Amino acid sequence: MSRNAVEWKQTPSFPESHYVDTRIYTEEDIFLDEQRKIFNKCWIIACHESEIPNAYDYRTFSHPGGPPLIVIRGEDMQVRTFYNICPHRGNTLLYEPVGNAKRITCIFHAWSFNATGDCIDISRGKEGYQDRFGCKDAGLREVKTELGFGGFVWVNVDDDSCTLKEYIGEAMGMLDEHLNEPLEVFHYHKAIVNTNYKLWHDTNSEFYHDYMHYFNRITGMIQPGYFDRKYTGYPNGHASVGSMAIKYDAYEGSKARGVGWPGLAPGGWVLIDIFPGMTYNLRTSVLRMDTAIPLGPNKLLIEFRGLGLKRDTPEERAERIRDHNMIWGPFGRNLHEDLLGVHGQGLAMRERTDSKWVIHGREENMTIHDEGGMRHFYAEWSRRMGRKAYDPYGEQAAVAK
Amino acid sequence: MDTRTAITELIHRSGLIMDRCDFKGYLDLCAPEYQYRITTYSPEIRKDMTWLEHDKAGMKSLFDNLHRHNSDKSPISRHINVCLVDIDDAAEEAEVTSTIQVFRTTLDGGETELFAVGKLYDKVAFGQGGPALRSRNVRLDTRLLGYGYHIPF
Ligand code: FES
Ligand SMILES: [Fe+2]
Repeated sequence: MSRNAVEWKQTPSFPESHYVDTRIYTEEDIFLDEQRKIFNKCWIIACHESEIPNAYDYRTFSHPGGPPLIVIRGEDMQVRTFYNICPHRGNTLLYEPVGNAKRITCIFHAWSFNATGDCIDISRGKEGYQDRFGCKDAGLREVKTELGFGGFVWVNVDDDSCTLKEYIGEAMGMLDEHLNEPLEVFHYHKAIVNTNYKLWHDTNSEFYHDYMHYFNRITGMIQPGYFDRKYTGYPNGHASVGSMAIKYDAYEGSKARGVGWPGLAPGGWVLIDIFPGMTYNLRTSVLRMDTAIPLGPNKLLIEFRGLGLKRDTPEERAERIRDHNMIWGPFGRNLHEDLLGVHGQGLAMRERTDSKWVIHGREENMTIHDEGGMRHFYAEWSRRMGRKAYDPYGEQAAVAK
Repeated sequence: MDTRTAITELIHRSGLIMDRCDFKGYLDLCAPEYQYRITTYSPEIRKDMTWLEHDKAGMKSLFDNLHRHNSDKSPISRHINVCLVDIDDAAEEAEVTSTIQVFRTTLDGGETELFAVGKLYDKVAFGQGGPALRSRNVRLDTRLLGYGYHIPF
């Protein structure tokens, strides 16, 4: 039966953990709160070490909490991160996404910095500042940086944060042994979609939407082992999904994947969601990494990376790339579908559309179509935000009082 | 019709035929050894990338499977301008360089937006039976493609 206005807004008859108020996807003040309480507190992937292999190689990154960053490898080969903001008049220091800079010189008034973030020259410094201000006062703002879990470069703008290891905890257990070898990024693209970042991470945290993917239905859902895959939740909001043997040749025009992955069973597929918006997706021959970078409540930039082994022969690499392109990449069969899904959610749930609830109510013993992965995310979200995802403005709580 | 005109027309026809989603017609323009690629360069990772790669059979199954997928149904329009036709008479092959702009038009309201720009690098066999596409490399400048597209350019 269809519902009237009152019924549409009635609290779903699920436990509070099993639904969310859609204002968490649309409201500007909640988004600003998320930048402060989540993105500026959590470890975030900025890039991969293979993108900056040599001394003085750098990569720029727009941190989802706000600050533009420079990730740069020093002469000592250590990777450090700094705000890409000139301490003088606030100019962008490095304009290109990637490069090599032994000396970072601001184009505006030519202040210079080195790869450890020290100011090494202020043009006509003595003449203008006499002894009142000098290089020692003009260092770059450094951001905590750690390498790990497949050679990714992680940053945390909170000086008082826990270590990356503590943040991840046991969440990467299912992939640990598969990420021992040096990896290399072979695919990179960005997509901007008018949607909320959590909706993208949700899509990476639930497999019920395999109904959307013909490729996944035919190679996965109707194959043995699919409904045995299980979600596991970990502290800090991370979650993993167990493997199965994907039957890639069940899709016409696709074939069983030839190159595998160290330690992974043939056709295997392990997925690990890292709070608040990163996903390791190791599908037989390719590791995909999604990094969700919200630009606003209803605007999302996603960075997509495809990785293979550094030691790949040209033939192996070509095969990984083909495997990747079949379903992922801007012309892949699955990625377009996933992005259409969250684009549609963004259309339907943008401000003032009178959307009200999103339901995460499926319980199937935490197997593949259980919505526990999303519930786990929102429990952590609520904890960090000090707001309930089902009642972000405390209205239900007030009524109950 | 002279060879150069026939080749130029083939390239333009390939775009028009794809705009109509006449996939059989498109494959009829291709030689049996046809190779299709979409490539681009990523300054971010300083690497050449291949985003799609199929032979003729692969293109056919991509087309055959399209109706099983959930896709953006907005039509696209490929504006191709043939710039260079280098004819090798001895090999009965031509290398053709064209510019391409792809526009996407929304179904609701018909708003048109520029979707992608790039170049086409084609190899065309000519000889008996008229010209046929041997290979196509859609070399994209545009890398930000929003939610993407299921049909090759
Ligand atoms: S703004 Fe950078 S030197 Fe002045
Ligand atoms: Fe998906």
